[in-house]
Amino acid sequence: MSDSDFHPGSDAEWAELLHQLQRQPKTQPRPFFYARVHARLAASQAQATAWLPAWVRRPAYAALLGALILAVSGDGAALRPAAPASPYGGYHLGQPAPLPPR
Amino acid sequence: MAYSLPLCVTPELSSPLGTGAPAADAVLVAQLQQGSEAAFRTLVARFQDRVYSTAFSLLRSPEEAEDVAQEVFVEVYQTIDRFRGESALSTWLYRLATSRALQHQRRLSTHKRFAFFTSLLGFANHSLPEPPDHAHPQALLEGAQQLQQLQQQIGRLPPQQQVAFTLRHEQELSYEEIAAVLGTTVAAVESLLFRARQTLRRHLHPAFRHV
Repeated sequence: MSDSDFHPGSDAEWAELLHQLQRQPKTQPRPFFYARVHARLAASQAQATAWLPAWVRRPAYAALLGALILAVSGDGAALRPAAPASPYGGYHLGQPAPLPPR
Repeated sequence: MAYSLPLCVTPELSSPLGTGAPAADAVLVAQLQQGSEAAFRTLVARFQDRVYSTAFSLLRSPEEAEDVAQEVFVEVYQTIDRFRGESALSTWLYRLATSRALQHQRRLSTHKRFAFFTSLLGFANHSLPEPPDHAHPQALLEGAQQLQQLQQQIGRLPPQQQVAFTLRHEQELSYEEIAAVLGTTVAAVESLLFRARQTLRRHLHPAFRHV
């Protein structure tokens, strides 16, 4: 590929300019770069778990919330007392008491 | 509450990893995938200058370059499990650095356009941010002025040309390495570089006539 459409006298200057670009001192990050990367990594990982409110992340509160949901869910089948073992166990007010067996 | 990274602390790497050899890179990657903090520290130490200077070449701002370099290493740590070694570790890092730097560049130019628009409408009274001037006192000299003009013009090239030109003339990568970073062919890199040089020389030509 030729650069013949350019000013012929500028080739050397162009080459010198490119050379000057390469000769520039390499830029470097400020000292303790690793410490800053480490801090950023820790922050990003902490942020990843921070989308839940803090109280939800505590097990006691989470367990309490679970129990509360079960209690108010309306389907109390799991929490209903078992059928009474004794014949008097199922007595309710307003009902005549069953007679004892002979 | 102090927060610590889930990295295992392993003894300092015994192999000569500073050489950049593919075998040494493979060892480093394997140790990183096992969660070795020493390996991560070695990776950062070995590549921080290259990642930072690549970002700086594309952004011309120390703050932005630092931000990009940090992002690159955080991404490396978080996605190292997905690195399968199809390309060299340095190629992957250059790819991350250039794509992140271009993202920052787009974000900055969008922000600048928005600031200009709001200033036109009178929503904001603050002045538009000017590009940082990193001119050394030596920039008063003719050569340094030309160099500064060249850097400004590089910043105006289309993204692919800009990356190719920067990797070739500032990072001194080979055509094959640039092709690997850009995920293209050597012929395409030659074409990108030719067009970049042509554009730059066209814009800098008037300055050359007065030298």
